[in-house]
Amino acid sequence: MSNNILDLYKFGKVSLNETFNQLFSSKAKEKILKGQEDNSENIKSILIELNDLIGLANVKELVKEIIAFVEIQKRRKNENMLTEPIVLHMIFRGNPGTGKTTVARIIGRLFREMGVLEKGHIIEVERADIVGEYIGHTALKVKQQIKKAIGGILFIDEAYSLARGGEKDFGKEAIDALVKSMEDYKDNLIMILAGYEYEMDVFLRTNPGLKSRFPIHVDFKDYTTNELIEIANIMAKQRQYKLTNNAIMKLKQLLTTYNDSYNSGNARLVRNIIEKSFRKQALRLKKQSYISKKDLLDIKAEDIEGNDNY
Amino acid sequence: MKKSIIIGKSNVGKTLFMINFAEFLGLEKIYIIQEFPDGKKLNREMSIEAAREYLSSSSKYKTQCIQSIDISIPVYKGKKEIKIMDTSGLIDGIHPDISIRSGIIQTLERLHTCDIIIHIIDVSLLTQGILLSQIDRQIIEYGISRRGYILLANKIDLDKAKIGLNKLKKDYEEVYILPMSALYKTGLDEVKAFVIRSI
Ligand SMILES: Nc1nc2c(ncn2[C@@H]2O[C@H](COP(=O)(O)OP(=O)(O)OP(=O)(O)O)[C@@H](O)[C@H]2O)c(=O)[nH]1
Ligand SMILES: Nc1ncnc2c1ncn2[C@@H]1O[C@H](COP(=O)(O)OP(=O)(O)OP(=O)(O)O)[C@@H](O)[C@H]1O
Ligand SMILES: [Mg+2]
Ligand SMILES: [Mg+2]
Repeated sequence: MSNNILDLYKFGKVSLNETFNQLFSSKAKEKILKGQEDNSENIKSILIELNDLIGLANVKELVKEIIAFVEIQKRRKNENMLTEPIVLHMIFRGNPGTGKTTVARIIGRLFREMGVLEKGHIIEVERADIVGEYIGHTALKVKQQIKKAIGGILFIDEAYSLARGGEKDFGKEAIDALVKSMEDYKDNLIMILAGYEYEMDVFLRTNPGLKSRFPIHVDFKDYTTNELIEIANIMAKQRQYKLTNNAIMKLKQLLTTYNDSYNSGNARLVRNIIEKSFRKQALRLKKQSYISKKDLLDIKAEDIEGNDNY
Repeated sequence: MKKSIIIGKSNVGKTLFMINFAEFLGLEKIYIIQEFPDGKKLNREMSIEAAREYLSSSSKYKTQCIQSIDISIPVYKGKKEIKIMDTSGLIDGIHPDISIRSGIIQTLERLHTCDIIIHIIDVSLLTQGILLSQIDRQIIEYGISRRGYILLANKIDLDKAKIGLNKLKKDYEEVYILPMSALYKTGLDEVKAFVIRSI
């Protein structure tokens, strides 16, 4: 183990800090040093970050519930009272770009500060990362990903695709291996299965055992057009740009035309359009002989353009 | 023989401290063993002046391997030999140069086998806004969990160093922090006393 981490460091795969931690620090030590106070400060600032996300009211509510639950169970434990097991595996249902990954990251950090997870990082995988091509391959692949995720969250995108392919497919083997590691690392690993609402429902119906192991279900609703506009405004502001009124109108129009079930309410689409608009603005300004500060700031309607990739 | 290791970020004064500490303990010449990451060993003998000139430098990553000297230190009526190891400078994250990372790995491999850890920081860099880097905090954490750990707040001779020292002391009440100057050779007496106590 320890030689392994030194090799990873040698080849530039992990930071010195991570390496040092693995070699020399124990959980207990970390906790003593962190101290209660500055910890609750961190929790506060992570919660602010969560609250600043547009929409997602039900998600925010649920996170608050979980925090309260974990804290009360801790208190009860301190008083030597009976405690409920804290099982925090989750199912995220929702369309692409509805904030699933963003929320998972925030939850990971939150859990680290709360002492639920040691590291709180997230490892995102999909079918190809954990399903192998021959016998034994799958178990190996799962093991590798689990190893990376220990202390944090294993986030499985489009999880329903594991059940695809019928009897002979190794997806089933992957599910079994995942379930086993859930038990093996039950105190230091959280799994999140994510995917479209309908597909996830079918998936869980065909695997009743799974459903009970993932007690927390979170729905990520599509963003409304207005929410998407707000998200766009924030994204622009964070990078010191500003959408003009005309640009906002154009974006609105564009978002309505994309309003098929796959792309509706999709913040990732917005991000791509906004990022592209920065480049288009640059191109436009280069043709000008004089560029004012306001020019540098403003994203105009002509900079907003959809992309056929979506 | 008891082993001590000098660790810290690059350019904090590890090498200069080792040389001047050796001089303070009465050496006129040093025999230094350099052990390179690829396994090569080099023994060199030089005067204290030459050591200062050739081994310590104002540019970073001057030291790129473990280099050690053996010193005898007076204990009670007798003397005791100790090994002092100077090491490559540490840096947060992933340094882009593999040879520097290899030097750092040598330090990580030996750290737990050492009886005494002399952790050096450049306290003049710690003005009120800037905090200790993460690796320094990690070393402190590790240090206070075991015996024989000392934190040297080096370059106390520089302006602003006092501000940094006060802040450091406030943040780490449980750590033995010793202000000193490797350059002007102040505080070496206390380091000597600490070493004697720890062996
Ligand atoms: N003002 C002042 N300068 C110092 C002191 N100690 C070291 N220096 C200077 O800091 C620079 C670095 O010293 P080194 O001894 O080479 O530092 P190091 O930690 O061994 O650095 P690397 O081996 O290169 O990682 C040199 O220019 C020293 O003269 C001190 O106490 N006061
Ligand atoms: N509520 C929000 N407020 C602000 N930005 C958001 C919000 N939700 C998502 N975003 C931004 O939208 C982008 C896509 O979000 P994210 O990757 O979390 O979606 P996802 O549901 O995981 O999508 P996929 O299923 O395609 O991976 C990110 O850049 C994120 O920062
Ligand atoms: Mg995602
Ligand atoms: Mg040096």
